Amino acid sequence: MSTTSPTELLPPDLMAQLERLELVTRKVFRGRIKGERRSKRKGQSVEFADFRNYVHGDDLRFLDWNMYARLDRLFLKLFLEEEDLHFYVLLDASESMNFGEPTKLDFGRRLAAALGFVGLIRTDRVKIETLGQPLRHRSSALRGRANVWRMLDKLEHIQPGERVSLLEGVKNFCLRNTGRGIVVLVSDLMDKDGYEVALRFLMSQRMDVYVIHVLSAEELDPDMQGDLKLVDCEDEDVAEISISAPLLARYKKTLEAFVSGAREFCTRRDMVYLLANNQLGVQELVSSYLRSRGLVR
Amino acid sequence: MGQYFINMLGPWGWAALACVPPAIVALYFLKLRRKPLEVPSTYLWRKSLEDLHVNSLWQRLRKSILLLLQLLLVALIMIAVLRPGWRGTTLTGERFIFLVDNSASMSAGDVRPTRLDEAKRRTEALIDQMGSGSRAMLVSFSDRAQVVQEFTDNRRLLRDRLRQIQPTQRTTDLKEALQLAAGLANADPRATGDEGDAADSMPADMYIFSDGKFPDVADFSLGNLTPIFVPLGEAAAENVAVTAFSTRPDEVDGTRWQAFAQVANYGPRDVTRTAELYAGDELLDAKQIDIAAGGATGLAFDLGQMQRGALRVVLQEKDSLALDDTAYAAVNPPRLARVLLVSPGNEALRLGLLTSQAREHAQVEFAKPAHLASEAYKQQAASGVYDLVVYDQCRPEAMPEANTLFIGRLPPMLEWQTNAEDGMPPTISGPQVIDTNRAHPILQLVELDDILVAESLSLSPPTGGTVLIDGDRGKLMAIAPRGGYEDAVLGFEIVSTAEDGQRFNTNWPIGRLSFPTFLLNVIEYLGRPSGGTSLQSVRPGEPVTLSADGPAAELTVRSPEGDSQRLVRSQQGTYHFHGTEVAGIYQISQEGGQQRHFAVNLFDETESNIRPRPEEAIQIGYVTVDGRTGWEPARRELWKYVLLGALFVLLVEWYIYNRRVFI
Repeated sequence: MSTTSPTELLPPDLMAQLERLELVTRKVFRGRIKGERRSKRKGQSVEFADFRNYVHGDDLRFLDWNMYARLDRLFLKLFLEEEDLHFYVLLDASESMNFGEPTKLDFGRRLAAALGFVGLIRTDRVKIETLGQPLRHRSSALRGRANVWRMLDKLEHIQPGERVSLLEGVKNFCLRNTGRGIVVLVSDLMDKDGYEVALRFLMSQRMDVYVIHVLSAEELDPDMQGDLKLVDCEDEDVAEISISAPLLARYKKTLEAFVSGAREFCTRRDMVYLLANNQLGVQELVSSYLRSRGLVR
Repeated sequence: MGQYFINMLGPWGWAALACVPPAIVALYFLKLRRKPLEVPSTYLWRKSLEDLHVNSLWQRLRKSILLLLQLLLVALIMIAVLRPGWRGTTLTGERFIFLVDNSASMSAGDVRPTRLDEAKRRTEALIDQMGSGSRAMLVSFSDRAQVVQEFTDNRRLLRDRLRQIQPTQRTTDLKEALQLAAGLANADPRATGDEGDAADSMPADMYIFSDGKFPDVADFSLGNLTPIFVPLGEAAAENVAVTAFSTRPDEVDGTRWQAFAQVANYGPRDVTRTAELYAGDELLDAKQIDIAAGGATGLAFDLGQMQRGALRVVLQEKDSLALDDTAYAAVNPPRLARVLLVSPGNEALRLGLLTSQAREHAQVEFAKPAHLASEAYKQQAASGVYDLVVYDQCRPEAMPEANTLFIGRLPPMLEWQTNAEDGMPPTISGPQVIDTNRAHPILQLVELDDILVAESLSLSPPTGGTVLIDGDRGKLMAIAPRGGYEDAVLGFEIVSTAEDGQRFNTNWPIGRLSFPTFLLNVIEYLGRPSGGTSLQSVRPGEPVTLSADGPAAELTVRSPEGDSQRLVRSQQGTYHFHGTEVAGIYQISQEGGQQRHFAVNLFDETESNIRPRPEEAIQIGYVTVDGRTGWEPARRELWKYVLLGALFVLLVEWYIYNRRVFI
């Protein structure tokens, strides 16, 4: 198990680049605290939205006095309220993520750190959770640049080996966090029961869902030889195989079908799917891939 | 097996080798230990395996490709142990003599199509392998050897000539072929001189392709020849042969004829055969016979009043050698004996020779003693025109080519005159007949008890002679052979001719039936036509000496194949015929004479007993030449290539084991 220092998770040069970015949501959500985002709610900001008739009890500060002078009627000025954004990173910390060099979990942690940093500096509410987090254990949302270190500290202490299915983890997450926002699920989706039901839960939450499908290079292009007894690290299931060219070809076909199935599933449901290789640099991923997908700008 | 494989292992070796494949299979299943490897998830692998199991048979094969390769390796080793190969490769040596047996037994079909064809096939294979510069000679042999092709390095010519070797029906004699080969291979250097080319005295390999049905050759030196004997034929070859076939009159009733045949079984099993007797194309009789393995059975057919014709006996069931399943016999009509009576005059004799009985058997001519001096007589006597000449009270200067009866005189030969004084034997007066040799055909049914003889010569027959009438003081009649003829001498005259006329010397002709009976016996016995009623059977290839029915300039012989050959009379008055190549009935015809036949038959136990020599070796001089059983000219061995293949399989197996990914 590799522990990662804060600078490894979020190198300073990356930090400098990320400061120019902000998280984007395709949906306009209601925030709790006035933030830097437009809300559907009309409220106090500088951006004018509409007028409406004054009713008793309205804040007199928002009356349009100029209008009153001309028309002798009271109109209330409505402004678009700027709100903060809920940004969740849901990390799969199961044993299967502890593979690859760097491990898929490390990759996920770095990705979470980068995205979380972007959210924090834009004063969004950032929550980093793992699938194995118990239902009752609510984590507090982080906000503001000052909390970067807390976030990194939390990421550092995520340990692989959580024994929880994707479906259960997602369910717990949804029960804990009922609010809207952006959720980025970082997982390898390798669940023998399938990922579909879990993703449907997320979708029903009406969140803006990003699925980062992390696969290690060994999984994408296995380099094995001979007669092998493959042991599943999670359930210790055993598959006896004799590596041969047709088997490898068949594996690649299956993998391709698996990936394209996931992609199609997500696309149909208005989720953003992104296949990531653990060899990929986080900086590249964030500044190029996620940007093109519209998560950051 | 046989031709293509030679087993190199005993049963134990095979048993050990047979244990290897099961052991490999067992080890494969016992020792298949998979290397455990932890993976994030077996999810995708399981799915892939499920997909692959759809076409599982091929996959299973692919999975066990190492096992299959190992089994293939063992199989290849097994094949290599069997020493696969076929005939052919190079023939070493520079000079070859191929002796191809084409005698009768080589026509046997126990080796398909025939032994001769097999011999030719093997010879051709050898010719094909001759290196350039090698020279070979082809000799075919039966009872005589024939150079089919002189030494040459022209292989096409050799092949063409080889194909021209035809089977014969002759017997076998290896010695002549050996002498021929040796004469060319061991030529005397002095004789060849400087320009000795093909006949240089150089070592040569001599291949003898034969079934070995000939006597060993003693008294022969091989010299430069290296003999290689290639025995042909199957030990289990079956053959049933007619080994003898002849006709003769019934012993009781002389007018009825009988045919006798002997059938021998040379095969390894007891057989039952049907023998059919044909006259021409007409079926006369058929008999079923059982013959034990290695045994022989006699057969007798009653022919009835058969007078002439060609007979053949045929064994119906087929066997390996068809040639000896049919035997031929010729029955020729009895011919009238030609008898010359030379007498100064003897009415009793004349009448006795002209009885109706005698005229059925003989045609009698009469002559005076003066005729003996004429050229016509000398020529006729020398040419054997007559079957019997009776010299009554006279004698010729030289013996004729005929049987003779001398009456009252001795033949002009010293053998008869051992007790003679001054050229005349002692004379005895009034001899008494004491004993007659009634067993002899001449004196059968002749009663001489009461005859009186006035004067007689006392005879002393030469060695080999038989006394026919013994008197009290000397022998009165005797008979002795002379070459192929017989001379009978009656010591006393019947009628004595003197200057004062004729008088009887004996009362024998007077009122006694024994005298004409005696003359009839003489005509039947001494006057029997030369050659008899049925000529002896001859073997294929043997020359035949024929005699004409009277003085004829030439004879025409028609062979069973329809070829006619004219024979010119020799100085001895005989005709020599050499064209007896084929078994069957030969027809002799002459101008103005009756048609006659003679038969040619194999009748040779050595040729008919077609089973090869048990020892499969032949003796030439002091050298024993072992036969090469199962011998193929210079086998082309394959086992090296098979082992190389096995090595390659081993390499492939090792490679796949290390780089299984690619398969």
